[in-house]
Amino acid sequence: MSYDADLSFVFAHTPKVVFGARAADSVGDLVTELGGQRTVIVTDAFLAGQTDLVKRLGKSLGDRLAGVFSGVIPDPTAPSVDEGAAFARERGADLLISLGGGSAIDTGKAMAVVLTEGGKILEHEGYHALTRRLTPHIAVPTTAGTGSEMTLVTVITDPARGQKTFVGSHFLHPDVALLDPTFTTGMPARLTAATGMDAMSHAVEALISTLRQPLSDAAALQAIELIATHLPRALAQPDDLHARGQMLLAACLAGTAFSNAMVSLNHAMAHSLGALHHVHHGTLNAALLPHTMRFFAADVGDRFTRVASALGGATRGLGDEAAARQAADLMQAFVHRVGLTTRLGELGVPAESLPQVAELSLSDGSIIYSPRPVMDPAEIEALLRQAH
Amino acid sequence: MSLDFPSEAWTAAYKDVLNNDPGYKVAGAPWTAGALTFVVKAEPSIGLKEDVSFILDVHQGVCRDAKISTMEEGAKQPFVITGSYAQWKSVIKKELDPVKAMMQGKLKLKGNLPMIVRNVKAAQSLVENASKIDTHFLDE
Repeated sequence: MSYDADLSFVFAHTPKVVFGARAADSVGDLVTELGGQRTVIVTDAFLAGQTDLVKRLGKSLGDRLAGVFSGVIPDPTAPSVDEGAAFARERGADLLISLGGGSAIDTGKAMAVVLTEGGKILEHEGYHALTRRLTPHIAVPTTAGTGSEMTLVTVITDPARGQKTFVGSHFLHPDVALLDPTFTTGMPARLTAATGMDAMSHAVEALISTLRQPLSDAAALQAIELIATHLPRALAQPDDLHARGQMLLAACLAGTAFSNAMVSLNHAMAHSLGALHHVHHGTLNAALLPHTMRFFAADVGDRFTRVASALGGATRGLGDEAAARQAADLMQAFVHRVGLTTRLGELGVPAESLPQVAELSLSDGSIIYSPRPVMDPAEIEALLRQAH
Repeated sequence: MSLDFPSEAWTAAYKDVLNNDPGYKVAGAPWTAGALTFVVKAEPSIGLKEDVSFILDVHQGVCRDAKISTMEEGAKQPFVITGSYAQWKSVIKKELDPVKAMMQGKLKLKGNLPMIVRNVKAAQSLVENASKIDTHFLDE
């Protein structure tokens, strides 16, 4: 793989990454390092009430635990963020620990903005408009997929406008991504597969994005290899801490890749299908990915050769497009192997909605990073029909 | 005659260019999200002593107004995009894609990013039309 002569890129710095089984049991040391005296944990009601994860963090924090905000909701809304920030402010929080999947981490990021800058979260929507360090934030993922612990964006839903919006800034990177595989062993199989394939789609799409660059490519390729090897193991042996840990690393690497290179058509379609039919985001990405890979097979040069190799293919002697098609076929087999479908129809997506999905996808921001311009809704609809 | 960027004359020319372009009428037709403010950061070494703000009031493929504004008035608009003189020059010369520049932090956006990227064709047409103006850049 090589790069154009006019290559120009920015690779954003990433959080400090602390990895290891039971690493989270020493979270107090990280809080000390960051100068925290009054820590608020940001999580959802299930993790707060039905698991011992908050208790484990609390044990290490001691009297520096100022409160637990358990009001995180899926697809965080602006009011939920403002409520969390008010909770943290009342308790005098000087450090946040987000615990959970992407929604908890995104809520933690957004709360850090409000705690530092004041006002309400929607007053701060924008990209790279923040100008100073935020309330320190440690992100502790309990799923291995979204990569939010590594990204500079928080996605917030504004119910009043009925749309999602972003706050993006290098200051939004958590200070620490604390990756503890013992925090992910409780994930059910289906969620493990779907979040793992979400990470896979982050990596594959970063690899073919028009913003791709050497450093994001390196992270993406490593993520793909880790997922190909360890997602099936994590599914077969849910308590296999090695496999769980490798998946956390893969999600972290894929998050690094797409935070810098972005995602493209696959995510544009998944976002649109999710908005219309409320199917899990990772499940949709998995269903669409092999079809999207075929769609771009002639446009990605030799970039899918290593994807094919990671998935067990042999591409010696094949041209780039043939190797890319082999990678797509292998990806389809891999999706099936981890127990997910590559048929939208099996996810309850009605065929008659596909023209609307195609139109919506065309207006999704991710689409502009596709390896070739996609401007025609009929082209997307045809792709969706193949995936149906 | 070349027009200084930024200046009242340049913004007036921009309005004319946009309203005379049938391509912008089509590309900008979906845009109903309000006016854009462009802030050029001060660069004393080339004679730009203070930040300059100009407002482009575009709606459904029509430029209703384009003017230099106070910073206060500019900050009230729904979208405020800020960059250095060099970055804006690169945008006008079509050397820098403004949406990618926002993603990379070369331009800073206050406002709803998805709305901007969903209207990427309108953004491209704005740049295309800016490049048509016979511009004198202060650093040349």
